[in-house]
Amino acid sequence: MELLLQGVEVCDKRSPFHGQKKNILIKDGIIEKITEESIDAERIIDCQDLILSIGWFDMRASFGDPGLEFKEDLKSGRKVAAMGGFTEVAILPNTIPVIQSKNDLSYIKALNPYSLTQLHPIAAVTINSEGKELTEMIDLHQSGAIAFSDGEKTLWNTDIVLKTLQYLQKFDGLLMNRPEDRLLTQFGTMNEGINSTLLGLKGMPRLAEEIAINRDLQLLEYAGGKIHFSNISSAHSVELIRRAKAKGLEVSCDVAAYQLIFDDSSLTSFDTNFKVNPPLREKLDIEALKQGLLDGTIDAIVSNHMPQDQESKKLEYDLAEFGMIGLQTVLPLLIQSGLELEMLIEKISLAPRKLLQLNQPEVKEGEQANLTLFAPNAEWEYNEKNNASLSSNSPLLGQRLTGKAVGVFNNHKVELLIED
Amino acid sequence: MEELSTKHLLGIKDLTPQDLELIFETADNFKEVINRPIRKVPSLRDITLANVFFENSTRTRLSFELAEKRLSADVINFSSSSSSVKKGETLLDTVNNILAMKVDMIVMRHSSPGAPHFLSQHIDANIINAGDGTHEHPTQALLDSYSMRERLGTDLAGKKVAIIGDILHSRVALSNIFALQKQGAEVMVCGPITLLPKYIAELGVKVELDVRKALEWCDIANVLRIQLERQQIKYFPSLREYSLYYGINKKMLDSLNKEIIVMHPGPINRGVELNSDVADSDQAIILDQVENGVAVRMAVLYLLASKR
Repeated sequence: MELLLQGVEVCDKRSPFHGQKKNILIKDGIIEKITEESIDAERIIDCQDLILSIGWFDMRASFGDPGLEFKEDLKSGRKVAAMGGFTEVAILPNTIPVIQSKNDLSYIKALNPYSLTQLHPIAAVTINSEGKELTEMIDLHQSGAIAFSDGEKTLWNTDIVLKTLQYLQKFDGLLMNRPEDRLLTQFGTMNEGINSTLLGLKGMPRLAEEIAINRDLQLLEYAGGKIHFSNISSAHSVELIRRAKAKGLEVSCDVAAYQLIFDDSSLTSFDTNFKVNPPLREKLDIEALKQGLLDGTIDAIVSNHMPQDQESKKLEYDLAEFGMIGLQTVLPLLIQSGLELEMLIEKISLAPRKLLQLNQPEVKEGEQANLTLFAPNAEWEYNEKNNASLSSNSPLLGQRLTGKAVGVFNNHKVELLIED
Repeated sequence: MEELSTKHLLGIKDLTPQDLELIFETADNFKEVINRPIRKVPSLRDITLANVFFENSTRTRLSFELAEKRLSADVINFSSSSSSVKKGETLLDTVNNILAMKVDMIVMRHSSPGAPHFLSQHIDANIINAGDGTHEHPTQALLDSYSMRERLGTDLAGKKVAIIGDILHSRVALSNIFALQKQGAEVMVCGPITLLPKYIAELGVKVELDVRKALEWCDIANVLRIQLERQQIKYFPSLREYSLYYGINKKMLDSLNKEIIVMHPGPINRGVELNSDVADSDQAIILDQVENGVAVRMAVLYLLASKR
């Protein structure tokens, strides 16, 4: 099939066409032509007000497949990703069973050859993500594990972190850890601060995250290797990682898109959709996170998509599960952050692939199209009808949002979300 | 007729100072009623209330039930020592089942902070929070303020109230802080620092670690029960040490150069936070609090019923 993107603005700072409006012809999944001349095609899309970047990559999402398919299965997960503009997603291992064997990896990847959205499994560091016994990480790497993490669970055992940092050096593997000192967050359900005091909820102090980061950085300095901190949330965490980078340590980190928008005052009505871990912090943390993105301390932005069924969320606040869905609404949140679009797009496309040592797609003639087409100014209502997830644990449902992905191209397939 | 600004009583935080005055005035009337030979009025006739208690309670449940019966309401009681989730039914299902039997108002105690707020977002009936975990216990704060005003014979503007004990796990403390501040009183919290929320001072309260200094400062000491049952983690070494350094005895009170009022929301751990010689002294208004609890709850029920 021939598809012409007419007058589309290219957003890819590596490309000679960056910032320019071009006519781009895509034929059978290959970028056939990039030109200013008018050309004809079977299907022409008027791309006024639309931007084209390389396909977006989410390096942290949870689906419930296998084991919790009612929350999100691989099919619905792929659909949510495409609707959100993502052509590739790295999946956390917290499934049932946990992703820790060749079989588990194969199951996640089985439909990749036939799908637009490519799923990349992150394998568990420890068996059943219990933090006690290491998985066979070399073998898992050979079988396609893209990185190693206990996912939603933090690696609490200091010796396990040390051994993992050492063991992964054989193949330059990436350890991803969500930093949390579990003893300091025990029974906690939100950020510790004035709002937790007002709501009578047990707080999770920033300190819990910062102590864990400090510990892991010291281990990294001792052991070598590299570490990626997932979902950092506090201002001081940004500073700790900034200093570590300046020191030359191989450290990287990401932040969840929602963490740039919401703070803990959102919890005043005990809305369980705002119950996430790490918890929503305060305005000063949001500012520091944004600063971290701007100066490169924070490498990537993730959705931290975590579907929860109604039975896990329509509950008393402290009994509800953590997490919010987000793959479909990353762009509107990023637009809302007010940060520069080019930088934001880089954090969800180039940066994650670089961290995971994957080939970078390009907007270039002859290349296979791995692209995302989006409308940064489009207004739309996110509702139960267009929510592609099997779960609906998002505080954004029912709201009007600005910024919409309108098309994804990958693996010789196209999904368009616009009318002609 | 004057009315409350809210349909539910979820917490003191949501009330206006005018709401507080209205409740106290209404409670005055009901206090007079319950001291008559015939202590019952027909105000809530044909209204059905359910007291839904997911946590153990003696005095609060009895006080509510009595208040309801004095107002001629029809009353049903549901008690479960654990949250209903544990036996497989959600809170919402439990309450909807009760409401299906044509119940008009729900009085609920629950171990989860925000449980009544959650409920109010999903059901129509008026909800009265009888204590939600470590969050609020609004009727306790109302009866505490009412009792303070009664004993002092004035309103609470400029009065100094020290809340002493386990502030971290106390819904009474938080509701009292809100209520007292709305009435212009000054509030201090005092206890072992591990039992004080780290950010409590941001609420505009004074923080004191020495119980003697707190007693010297205050006009009224509201002494809280040590909530061992609500502590999931160890916050202090032993009850012995707590009673030695945070317990209040008559000798301490006598050594102050003034007579302060001593309150306790009950049940008292005698010999832990309060010695018997204090609990049974004239300075203590603990049983007045209990008596006023019925009148104040009658006022709240009456005012909320008129919002139906």
